[in-house]
Amino acid sequence: MEKKIGAYICTGCGIGDALDVAALAKVATGEYKVPVCREHGFLCSEEGRALIQADVEQEGVNSLVIAACSPRVMVDAFDFGPDKVVERVNLREQVVWSHPAEDEDTQMMAEDYLRMGITKAKEMEPPVPYQGENLSKRILVVGGGLTGLTAAKEAAAAGYEVVLVEKSDELGGYTRNVAKLPPLTPPYEEPTAFDLEGLVGEVTGSDKITVYTGSQIEKISGAPCMFDVSIQQNGSQAAERVGAIVLATGAVPYDASKLEHLGFGKHPDVITADQLEGMFKAGEVKRPSNGQPVNGVAFILCAGSRDPEHLPYCSAACCVESLKQAKYFKDANPEMPVYIFYKDLRAHGTYEFLYKQLQKDGVFFVRGTVTGVDDDGSGALAISAEDVLTRAPILSESVDLVVLATGMVSTASLGKPYKAQEPKEGEEEVEVPADTILASNLLNLEYRQGPEIPALKYGFPDSHFICFPYESRRTGIYPAGTVRAPMDYSRAMDDAAGAALKAIQCVEMTGQGKAVHPRAGDLSYPEFFMQRCTQCKRCTEECPFGAINEDEKANPLPNPTRCRRCGVCMGACPERIISFKNYSVGMIGNMIKNIEVPEEDEEKPRILVLACENDAYPALDMVGIRRAQYNPWVRVIPVRCLGSMNLVWIADALSSGIDGILLLGCKHGDDYQCHFVKGSELANIRMSKIKETLDRLVLESERVRFEQLSITDYGKLPEILDDFASDLEDLGPNPYKDF
Amino acid sequence: MEPKYVSAEMRDYIVSMGAETVNWCMQCGLCTNLCPWRLVPGETSEKFNIRHMQRLGQMGMEGFEDETVLFACSTCGMCQSNCPRGVKIIDNVRGMRASIVGAGMAPANLRPILGSAHANGNPWSGPREKRTAWQEGLDVPTFGPDTEYFLFVCCHSCYDPRSTKVARSIVKLLQAAGVSFGVIGQEESCCGESMRKLGDEELFQKLAQSNIELFNSKGVKKIITTSPHCLWTFTQEYPELGGEWEVIHYTELLNQLVEEGKLSLKAGQGKKVAFHDPCYLGRHSGVYDPPRALLEKVVPDGTVELTRNRESSLCCAGGGGRIWAEVPMGERFGELRVTDALDQGAQVLATACPYCMNMLIDACNSLGKEDDLEVVELSEILADSL
Repeated sequence: MEKKIGAYICTGCGIGDALDVAALAKVATGEYKVPVCREHGFLCSEEGRALIQADVEQEGVNSLVIAACSPRVMVDAFDFGPDKVVERVNLREQVVWSHPAEDEDTQMMAEDYLRMGITKAKEMEPPVPYQGENLSKRILVVGGGLTGLTAAKEAAAAGYEVVLVEKSDELGGYTRNVAKLPPLTPPYEEPTAFDLEGLVGEVTGSDKITVYTGSQIEKISGAPCMFDVSIQQNGSQAAERVGAIVLATGAVPYDASKLEHLGFGKHPDVITADQLEGMFKAGEVKRPSNGQPVNGVAFILCAGSRDPEHLPYCSAACCVESLKQAKYFKDANPEMPVYIFYKDLRAHGTYEFLYKQLQKDGVFFVRGTVTGVDDDGSGALAISAEDVLTRAPILSESVDLVVLATGMVSTASLGKPYKAQEPKEGEEEVEVPADTILASNLLNLEYRQGPEIPALKYGFPDSHFICFPYESRRTGIYPAGTVRAPMDYSRAMDDAAGAALKAIQCVEMTGQGKAVHPRAGDLSYPEFFMQRCTQCKRCTEECPFGAINEDEKANPLPNPTRCRRCGVCMGACPERIISFKNYSVGMIGNMIKNIEVPEEDEEKPRILVLACENDAYPALDMVGIRRAQYNPWVRVIPVRCLGSMNLVWIADALSSGIDGILLLGCKHGDDYQCHFVKGSELANIRMSKIKETLDRLVLESERVRFEQLSITDYGKLPEILDDFASDLEDLGPNPYKDF
Repeated sequence: MEPKYVSAEMRDYIVSMGAETVNWCMQCGLCTNLCPWRLVPGETSEKFNIRHMQRLGQMGMEGFEDETVLFACSTCGMCQSNCPRGVKIIDNVRGMRASIVGAGMAPANLRPILGSAHANGNPWSGPREKRTAWQEGLDVPTFGPDTEYFLFVCCHSCYDPRSTKVARSIVKLLQAAGVSFGVIGQEESCCGESMRKLGDEELFQKLAQSNIELFNSKGVKKIITTSPHCLWTFTQEYPELGGEWEVIHYTELLNQLVEEGKLSLKAGQGKKVAFHDPCYLGRHSGVYDPPRALLEKVVPDGTVELTRNRESSLCCAGGGGRIWAEVPMGERFGELRVTDALDQGAQVLATACPYCMNMLIDACNSLGKEDDLEVVELSEILADSL
């Protein structure tokens, strides 16, 4: 593309009052010979836009440098079509709103930002969307229980073809064993009958849904919109091509044979909640020991859950499930003694009404730890417990049946850890901690990184549970229901609809060559200049999303539709062969090199800030919006993810005389905030290697600093920036300055 | 530690005695924290925990029968009116007391009280024939077929020498306003409100039946009560036993009369006056404004509000039978109330309940503040302003 740059300086929002705009324009027209440069008092207005549009049409301007407000705002106003390059220079939030007006240093800052913007615009190309072949918009649902059935129904209702694969011979999953669901309608006091057959009928009767029962996924290869699925059905094979996947394989009850301390296995009348549910479903509730009717019952909650020896987590549904079962008994016989032993009763939302009703029904609720379940001598069972609420040990009256509310174990956690390929002899040890992938035999992905979705704590294959529900670390695969987190029926149904919608978004976006969450709509994707690849495998190892396979010679095989466009591969590549059309190692490197570094005796230090554009960059904007001030030495470059930081930028900065580099990334660790899961952590790992670079340049390692920052930490930012500046002052100027 | 036994039978017995909502309690403990016992030190404060007491009740476990625990509650209603589960905590206390008292195990100090109510129709050991002694020197009409209001004078104001002044003041005020009223006299019995709270259900039933038969036989349609306790039981407990009348507290009636111009009160009191909301008039019956309006008439610009007022008023400690309890100095809620009044610069602390007056006077004396703060019943100030 023949480049023609137009630079547009907005003088509104205080920019014109604070800066010498004529001098600024001269940077564009003089230093950079930009052919078209204009100022306007209200650039985002209709008039301002028309001014730019006229240049596009009449002057042939195709690369726009908009020196105005933050790139985070007025995105639509400055969109002149996909074939135009737009680079935003943030004069408002990060220059005039956070620095004194009519000041030499503020002016220098604005001029540097304009230099950086023009430099980048010169090199950026409009992205060309990736188009795969033989794209499918069908959705595969793995698991035919309540969640899977609901996901299939919802996706079909939205007009998408669905392939549903169920392991057993019948659809329905755990719900098939369930007599009634907890209350779903006002007054929320009675268990609700659930029409499972109706749901199954809707699914099997839909001409949009292909159902495989008695089937397993043997293999899935490919990428979003191009997944090839091999299904094994009772010995025969089937192949399906699908666009996205909902994983809804559910959970299983915790193995009660490990709960001998609660009497399971010792007394035949100690049973599990799912066994009791089965009795109600069959309409035959009897004491297993003698077949006599049950005249008194005790429920023990958290049987295995919230217990460091068993399941450390809360299984979320058992409290309400036990309340429901207690209600079965009370409805049948209001006089029956019913005990519920609990740690905390978690009956959220409208389930509170059920809890309240059972209190009114006279259920004994005992808060505390069960210390024994013992035969009272007559064959009945008495429960001893430490009752928190009376601060005393207590002994229940004798009951005929003890029900253990065993917790939930995700089916994704039921596999041995997958062993990553051992490094071949002579190869470097893997430095990046590998994801936990459990070979749970659910999806059997043909991914270099392992056959299933990476798991978080306790084997649940979730992504960031607060910010990004239904997301996994494998693009196009969305876990829903109890496989991803413990939950009850109604939440599982909501989950199913949510994940189905995610899958639909995925096939639609991918079909247009666009990225999905979190850079939803991004048309750019990484391109590999393979001639210079050294097969080091950094990119394949580090990609948080398993987007890159490799051939037998260890050449990377990128799958653009699996890619989230974070640029972690670009940051990882020591040969700098991975680039986006509008984001590359060279572009950022040249921006750095175009920062004007004053000579040492001017005593104007320069600090490069590489800021994650998801949290740190908006936080910097917030500082300006709040009109807080920080030193004018900093020059901020937003990066897609701090994981896209390439170490060469550090070398570029230091060798051009910049005094220090501050890396602002997201919180990493167990409760990470990184939008790309591991980017911030990877940047931190790369930091450890910066020392090498610094040693080579004979520079102090304190010149590079890494800070974890969340958007809500904006109040701390001026202090972080000024403290770093002051520490650099103590170190003295970068000796490379005057070279 | 030996385990305590859970007993459904005991729990169900307590429920049948009146603790109908004890199972509703989810043990959040808000009640305990709102309880005035948290505001004072001492043994009762340390032992009495209303949340814990209800826990024992809902588990049918032993321990609640300890007299320090079982009879500590003054039924002020602070907990109940804030309970997120709508538990009728006072009924639960009453039910648990009834399960003990009903079995003939009333505490020794309460037996003479209950005995007197049985024998004399009042808990103050006053002879029945002396019930009208307070009228001496006044021309108090007798209730007859043409009388509009029956004035029911609380036993406390019939027999307690200090309290008779309340009854006398109310009579003067009603007469000044030209109200058609009368008393029945010696046949009247204690309303039984406190007897029931103490758990003597049988005694309450006897007193209530006697009063209902008497009032109905005399053709009573409208009742003025001098005490908020009588007001409450007449409006809340008597109707289901067959006693259905229009019942009004004297402050409500006097305020209506002032508004209608039938009663004029002179502004005269030069002192700063604070009003203490009685629990049974305020929180239990929702009457907050009439006493304030009356007070404003006689001390314009001279009234001050206590920091804990209206719905948040602090109990005097005289309800629920606590008026007969011996409480060491330093542990009396009334002392906090007197201090509250002094903190607000009040010189007079007025209330509208004979029990409150009694408790606050005791507290004022025990603090030695009787020269700084005068405790009065509202009717007394009003009668002085006729």
